[in-house]
Amino acid sequence: MIQFFHVYKSYGRDVEALVDINLHIQKGEFVFIAGPSGAGKTTLLRLIFRDELPTSGQILVNGRNVVKLPERGIAPLRRSMGVIFQDFKLLRDRSIFDNLALVYRVHGIPAAVGKRKAANLLKLVGLSHKLQMTPYRLSGGEQQRVAIARALMNDPVLLLADEPTGDLDADLSADVMRLLADIHARGTTVVVATHDLDMVRELRRRTIILKGGRVVEEHP
Amino acid sequence: MERLRYILQDALVNIRRSGWSGLASIATIAFSFVIVGIFLIITRNLGAMVSEWKEQFQVTVFLEDGITPEQLTLLRKRIQSERAVKSMTYTSKEEALQSFKRELRGQESLLEGLGENPIPASLQLRIYEAYQTPEALRQFTASLTRLEGVEDVQYGQEWVDRLSAAVRMLRLLGLTVGLALGLASLLIVSNTIRLAVYARAEEIEIMRLVGATRLHIRAPFLLEGMIQGGLGAAAALVLLFGAYRATLWQLQLTPGQIFGMGVGSFLDPRWAAGMLLAGAGVGAFGSMISVGRLLRA
Repeated sequence: MIQFFHVYKSYGRDVEALVDINLHIQKGEFVFIAGPSGAGKTTLLRLIFRDELPTSGQILVNGRNVVKLPERGIAPLRRSMGVIFQDFKLLRDRSIFDNLALVYRVHGIPAAVGKRKAANLLKLVGLSHKLQMTPYRLSGGEQQRVAIARALMNDPVLLLADEPTGDLDADLSADVMRLLADIHARGTTVVVATHDLDMVRELRRRTIILKGGRVVEEHP
Repeated sequence: MERLRYILQDALVNIRRSGWSGLASIATIAFSFVIVGIFLIITRNLGAMVSEWKEQFQVTVFLEDGITPEQLTLLRKRIQSERAVKSMTYTSKEEALQSFKRELRGQESLLEGLGENPIPASLQLRIYEAYQTPEALRQFTASLTRLEGVEDVQYGQEWVDRLSAAVRMLRLLGLTVGLALGLASLLIVSNTIRLAVYARAEEIEIMRLVGATRLHIRAPFLLEGMIQGGLGAAAALVLLFGAYRATLWQLQLTPGQIFGMGVGSFLDPRWAAGMLLAGAGVGAFGSMISVGRLLRA
């Protein structure tokens, strides 16, 4: 599903965000990319959905070399995956439902199908009673769940989650992780970037630990 | 199909949200097109007037008093054979005098005491437009002057030439002013769209991240620009038509009566359609500049 071959990413001359990353994530896996802040987790995820280009190295996603992907190939690549952003990236002046509708509009899904899908996903994340509210009126955990529902709108084969429990308390974090585990159980490949090593240890999934842009540990 | 519907919906939402800046943009385009339209209407009517005059343009060949009927017949045949001559009318001395008297109605006494009829007989020649150039006319009239029985040759080409030059000048001025105002409209539409793009920067960013194509992001803004431009041009046409009808009413004329020459018409429908298209084009181009610049950034 995802392969990194000697991937380097630097910003300017001084900042090395990723150094010689080689990894292989199989289809259907649930993988944690763990490490402290500034370890390169977000950069790694951004390389996968072609928000960034590596300084050198090759990256295959679903058999496609995203480094050599032409401009017009980026939108289809992103439409094949779901991304949960650390800062949620919700439109604050729109209702929760409209935030999800944005995806089906971009994907050209008929409105009736899109609305049904949005309603089902909001039910899945336990927010069907708040679909007309704006994100302002939701708690951090609820906003996170909206972001998860939005990432699932296009039935992605790959779900990337950047610090999905970053601002949540222990209970809410557990809820979100349970939700991601459910999604994984349905066959979706899930890659979660997190700094929460306790949670990672507890959940016992495959974990790749980054530090200073390098893979320092990998288990099991 | 769904995508197209969403794009159209987004464009309409954009227009609604653009509020006063959108209205200012439409008003600027309308103002520019009103000015351009005024020039178009004036040049169209002056052009029609010149054509009409060219159509009616004639060379008058005054004949010597002593010309014999045989000489006159020969002269008419000779002139009729000229390629420049479309048609020819003969006016005898008597007819010319009668006509002059009609023109002096009420002041016939001025002619008393003249004794012999002083007005010469003449031939009025209608000339094909191709031969109405100053050089061709100079050569043609010079050759007529040399003919036997011809006293003098007169024509008012100079006046028509001046009017043609004025129309050309007006067209050029209209084009220059039109281009300048078109450019101003382009900048204003481009600015309005830029504001709209900035206002929706977050949404555009999210759309990009969830897989929107560049076309999907650009298309609503392009449509917005086109609709604004088209609305501006349409408003200009409505204003121009209103002003045109009001002018006719004020002058108590019906269309086509101005100058008594079958002119005084509004814009040709093709020109009006062209203005609408140009408005939409200006709007689309203006928004393309802004969105392109911001998406690259």
